[in-house]
Amino acid sequence: MPKVRRSAAYRLAFGYTALCALAVLVTGLGVYYAASALLRQDFDRAIVQEMASLEREYGEGGRPDLIDALTRHTGRTGNGFRYALFDPAGQSVLRQATLLRASPGWGETQREGSDRPWHARFLAVRLRGGETLIVAADTRDLDRLRDRLFGLLAAGFVLILGLGAAGTLLFGRHLRRRLEAISSTAEVIMAGDLTHRISVGPSGDEFDRAGESLNLMLDRIAQLVENLRQVSSDVAHDLRTPLQRLRGAVELGLNGPQQITALRSALEKAQVQSEAALALFEAVLRICEVEAGGARQRFEPIELGQLAASMCEMYGPALEDGGRTVLCVNGDPVMVRGDRELLVQLVTNLLDNAALHTPPGTTVTVSTRAGAAGAELVVADTGPGVPEADRDRIVRRFVRLNHGRTTKGHGLGLNLVAAIAAAHGGRIAVEDNKPGLRVTLSLPLAQAGGPGRDAPANK
Amino acid sequence: MRILLVEDDVQTALLIEDGLARSAHAVVRVETGAQAVDAAGRERFELAILDRMLPDMDGLAVLDGWRSAGIRMPVLMLTALGSVADRVRGLEVGADDYLVKPFAMDELLARIGALNRRSARDEPPTHYQVGDLTLDLLLRRVRRGNRDVHLQPREFDLLAQLMRNAGQPVTRKMFLASVWGIHFDPNTNIVDSHISRLRSKLRQRGPDPIETLQGVGYRLRVDA
Repeated sequence: MPKVRRSAAYRLAFGYTALCALAVLVTGLGVYYAASALLRQDFDRAIVQEMASLEREYGEGGRPDLIDALTRHTGRTGNGFRYALFDPAGQSVLRQATLLRASPGWGETQREGSDRPWHARFLAVRLRGGETLIVAADTRDLDRLRDRLFGLLAAGFVLILGLGAAGTLLFGRHLRRRLEAISSTAEVIMAGDLTHRISVGPSGDEFDRAGESLNLMLDRIAQLVENLRQVSSDVAHDLRTPLQRLRGAVELGLNGPQQITALRSALEKAQVQSEAALALFEAVLRICEVEAGGARQRFEPIELGQLAASMCEMYGPALEDGGRTVLCVNGDPVMVRGDRELLVQLVTNLLDNAALHTPPGTTVTVSTRAGAAGAELVVADTGPGVPEADRDRIVRRFVRLNHGRTTKGHGLGLNLVAAIAAAHGGRIAVEDNKPGLRVTLSLPLAQAGGPGRDAPANK
Repeated sequence: MRILLVEDDVQTALLIEDGLARSAHAVVRVETGAQAVDAAGRERFELAILDRMLPDMDGLAVLDGWRSAGIRMPVLMLTALGSVADRVRGLEVGADDYLVKPFAMDELLARIGALNRRSARDEPPTHYQVGDLTLDLLLRRVRRGNRDVHLQPREFDLLAQLMRNAGQPVTRKMFLASVWGIHFDPNTNIVDSHISRLRSKLRQRGPDPIETLQGVGYRLRVDA
């Protein structure tokens, strides 16, 4: 029973039933009292009418006519009235059912014990001649009717209580069962089984809908956990490689011939590998920083064309030294809101990729435009491109195509690009440039008429 | 130069002390923020290297304490906190430079050299003269001997940075930060390509005044 008391489902159902019962009780009592008042009124009116008709007879023909009428009324079939008439001295002239003389007005009388018990209500009237006329009627029928009404209402009330209690138990048990299905699933998941799901029935009720939402949430969490697991194993793998090589170089230096040149070359190798490990670490931290958000506080209005032009100017010499051509194509000014350093890093990564993965003779084009969908910055090259099957993949972490030992880069470049785009409310698309690769960054346009410049709040 | 080094990690501190000693700097090392505030109040230092995370307090608080006590020596902040927000805060509080761990000793020494030169002057100069090279920051004009050298804007900025630190190494990171305003390393060596263009323009008017320091950066010859 304490379990039941602690169950919100039962408490809810009980409370509801109690409220219903209270409502039925109040209505029942109301009906009962209103009905009895009405019945009593009808009863009294009948006595008053009878009295009026008798008084009329008395008015027309005095006592003889009244006695006549009384005899006539008594003989009428179905007459429920009893009469008594007393002369002015108080002597009974006519007396039925042992009615006693009474002062004018309403009264009640009863006769117990005898073979014909009765319970009556009467009206006594002093007539003009000083006589007292009493008209009485048996109230037992009225009482019986009232009792029956009361009995019916009480039975109804008890029935409702019973039905309510049964309903409460059923409803409570149902509610408990549905909710326990959810909490037991949660317990299994907390115990470590992330694949468990809440079973969803076919009816599509609120519980099924809640279950579906929770299942979707669990899917998302499982995906994030899987992502995290994947990332940590990737980081572990990709970080171990340079660290392993670093360790190898150090061991080689320690165990190899103890000559200055051999030692120097081992140390140089070790330095290169430690830098590779640090660069990877740096990139991972950078992605985490970008994905954690917070860059928005540093957002300022940026003209994308200008940024692209300065990037072309920055990368031009290096790309040209590698035998590539750089083109910068800017249309009308394109205003976006963003973190300048992050956007510079984004374009840097795209241009690094172009420098790293295309042969000499390639043309790299950086262009900006304001499209219907927003601002666009496109970095396109005429290099070998990326097979269609791999285009979505290369945005993910640590994906390097043709996993050769000589392939430079840590495989996080495009992932950082995507993270920066997402932090700006934008996205990147990797497409075929026919020939070559085209990466398009789409960003929301800065709203015209908005604040032109950020207030230097922290200066 | 007398340098105050505030660093609680002994190994790191020993490496830094060693590097500074080889460059003929005198180093006083303290390990906590309280000692750092105390030491800078007692003696005069020409520069401080301040670790951001100290056992007793935040390096930023130490710097704040110095600045409000009127101690105005240049401060180079060392930190393992490399996010953009961290760097912005460090510079806001009044650090003159910000170097993220791990760093190369050559990088640290180059930054110290640059900071020392910057603080030695009261007002920023409007022009530099090194050997037969003159650079006018207001007119953005470069002359070698008595002939103009026509440079692209970034080439001009690179040369200005070299001339500001004439005779001292300037690292690639320093160029990236001062010329392009970026604080990360692109994979592509953009600095070298720009320098090689600057070099060939300068060589049309005389011998190469720029020295390449392998694995470190570049230096302008003072005797050019």
